[in-house]
Amino acid sequence: MKALLIDDERLARNELRRLLAAFPGVKVAGEAANAKQAREQMAALKPDLLFLDVQMPGETGMELLESLEPPVPHVIFTTAYDEFAVKAFELNAIDYLLKPVDPARLAAAVERIPGTRSPGKAKPASAGRLDGKDKVFVREGERCWFVEVAQIRLLESEGNYTRVHFGDAQPQLFRSLNAMEERLDPRHFFRANRRQIINTAWIDGIEPWFSSGLLVRLKGGAKVELSRRQAQEFRERMSL
Amino acid sequence: MRLYVLFQVAGWGFFIALEVWSVFAFPEHESVWSRSTTVAIAVASYCLGLLISHIVRAPMTRWGWKELGWRSLVPRLLGMALAASIVWKGVEIFWIHTVLGLPWNTRYSIPLVAVMEVLYCTIVFSGWLCLYFFYNLFERLNRSEIERFQLMSSVKEAELRALKSQVNPHFIFNSLNSLRALIDEDPARARMAVTQLANLLRYSLQSGQLETVPFEDELDVVNDYLALEQVRHEERLRLRLDIGADVSRLPIPPMLLQTLVENAVKYGISSRTEGGEIAIIARNEGGALRIQVTNPGQVARDGRGASTGVGLHNAAERLRLIFGEKATLRLRSDPPAQVVAEAVIPLALRS
Repeated sequence: MKALLIDDERLARNELRRLLAAFPGVKVAGEAANAKQAREQMAALKPDLLFLDVQMPGETGMELLESLEPPVPHVIFTTAYDEFAVKAFELNAIDYLLKPVDPARLAAAVERIPGTRSPGKAKPASAGRLDGKDKVFVREGERCWFVEVAQIRLLESEGNYTRVHFGDAQPQLFRSLNAMEERLDPRHFFRANRRQIINTAWIDGIEPWFSSGLLVRLKGGAKVELSRRQAQEFRERMSL
Repeated sequence: MRLYVLFQVAGWGFFIALEVWSVFAFPEHESVWSRSTTVAIAVASYCLGLLISHIVRAPMTRWGWKELGWRSLVPRLLGMALAASIVWKGVEIFWIHTVLGLPWNTRYSIPLVAVMEVLYCTIVFSGWLCLYFFYNLFERLNRSEIERFQLMSSVKEAELRALKSQVNPHFIFNSLNSLRALIDEDPARARMAVTQLANLLRYSLQSGQLETVPFEDELDVVNDYLALEQVRHEERLRLRLDIGADVSRLPIPPMLLQTLVENAVKYGISSRTEGGEIAIIARNEGGALRIQVTNPGQVARDGRGASTGVGLHNAAERLRLIFGEKATLRLRSDPPAQVVAEAVIPLALRS
């Protein structure tokens, strides 16, 4: 597994590199001192794992992550002292390490990472569809999530943003619905109308609606209307 | 204001009612005027009184009578009552006899009646003025009481915050983290950093009990702090010290310079990818010690900047509590791209 260390302090990166030497499964592929360098390194190295400092000059770790094209690699946050971030991480079971890093906690965090991805699997950004297991990073106020694409029930357009419905949250994603549509797998996601995309795996029931349209009920309570044209396309696709 | 209107109407209304009542209760009272004329004149007269009493408030406020003590206020009030009464009765007599042309409604001589009337009105006016100033006095007492409580609670709050915000925990843990890396990389530097961190922590814990410390003591600790920040930020943090030779013994509040420098590092270095230079300038300017701490950047005005101004606000409050109003602490933008935090501390301690 290829890891990228992102921290503005050289000594902090050194220390983490030294600690990671004890884990043969993790190979430190590169380092970055700020968000700009991190983007360059990610494009060049395609890391599977990020160690990401929350506080950095310029863009914070959160802002960097939000701007990344999904799927995001696995992320372990690092912070020296940040009550808000730590609370957000704990609420959503996001991996984080407190600096100075406790080797035992680092071991636990690394062990939790699901299966080592093959390094060749990473695809160039913007090309390729998102897999159900791929993760999207979303943040709203002090809360943040790594949400699996398969867990998303509904995406709604809000101008340049997209509201993502999953679990009991519906934060905004800094991407347009059209941009998201291009990345989603059409076998699972269906453009119900101009404003909404639904995940067909989350459909709870379908009713006939006005003028040969359809009303789709999703698990979790949302109702989505399909016009006649879209209903027809939907029937064709579902019957396949 | 509503209370004032109520009192005015009630007070003067009472006199009018008394007059009307006496006209009807004692019909045998010899008068050359008809009953209705008597009543009309009484109403007009007291309305004039009300008007005069309303008008005199403005000059009394302007002359600062509300701030006077008893001894200077009482003779002034009596004089004012007399003057107002003379105006009142003068206008009234002139109106009744010259403009309306009514006959004298008395068998006594005119000067005697005039003097008696003026005396009577002076008593009425004195009563009015007493009430008015009593009310003002109570209001002022209440207000100053509230102000005192507000001041007391803000002092307590400042003390509490000063205790809480000694050294930024984020800095402590980041320093410990770099220190751990330094142990392998440069053991000698690591040993020094441990001492510097210990100095800083000890100072921040102990200095809270002191009102002031000599400038040089604070500067030693600030140097330790900056050395630790340089371990973290390396070439991104550059320093320039320009300290006058005669400032070392001058008293400053503990953690003042430290707060300014911490702010400068936080907004001028930590948040900027390219880092920059921090300058500390201290000068004895005869009457006052002037301390300037500069960092690259701009003062955030829109509130969207990272600064909440709490740290500086606390420091300014502490400075004022110890050195009085002449001590100042300001943050300003110095074009093209510098922020200057400037503290001016008078050399004479507030008594």
